Amino acid sequence: MIDDSNSSGSNDRRRSRSYSGGRRYQRKPRYCIFCSDKTLELDYKNYSLLRKFITEEGKIRPRRQTGACAKHQRGVAREIKRARHIALLPYTGETWEESIR
Amino acid sequence: MNTYELVVIIHPDLDDEAIDQALTRIKNWIADGGGKIEKTDNWGKRRLAYEIQKQREGIYYLMDVILPPTSIAELERNIIILEPVMRHMIVTKNES
Repeated sequence: MIDDSNSSGSNDRRRSRSYSGGRRYQRKPRYCIFCSDKTLELDYKNYSLLRKFITEEGKIRPRRQTGACAKHQRGVAREIKRARHIALLPYTGETWEESIR
Repeated sequence: MNTYELVVIIHPDLDDEAIDQALTRIKNWIADGGGKIEKTDNWGKRRLAYEIQKQREGIYYLMDVILPPTSIAELERNIIILEPVMRHMIVTKNES
């Protein structure tokens, strides 16, 4: 019984933290999305997918936020760097909305 | 012979003729290196995520190129000199 209440308590805390911690932080996925969906292809051309893996400032999100496994996180990082090189993704945050002016 | 993906970003102010000229030069270099272009993809004029050479837009071309690895360095050297190309990238195509 005590164990039960403890575990539910920690669950609640985790949930509330994931909602309150940082507006844009997506809730951590429990599994690597590339492992659970084999059809997802890691590609620098798919920049709309990669946008989910960068922060507003354009940094690559760490693994604790993306939930990706080590292998796929390496791939994500590689493809983001490629996409940055050909200006599909920003190196820094200032982009689109701001620069349209 | 390996398959590579070549992305070039061409200056947005150029007319079609100049773009064609640049692309044929790239094509000739690839042919000289003993390779060939499998397919060319025109993404059209796109907004850049950041400025390159003071430009906010660029014309993107994606090419699948079959080329012996020894001529990659040569091709890359040539593309750098080619003026209409603002940015280029050559990566090996991932097999999947």
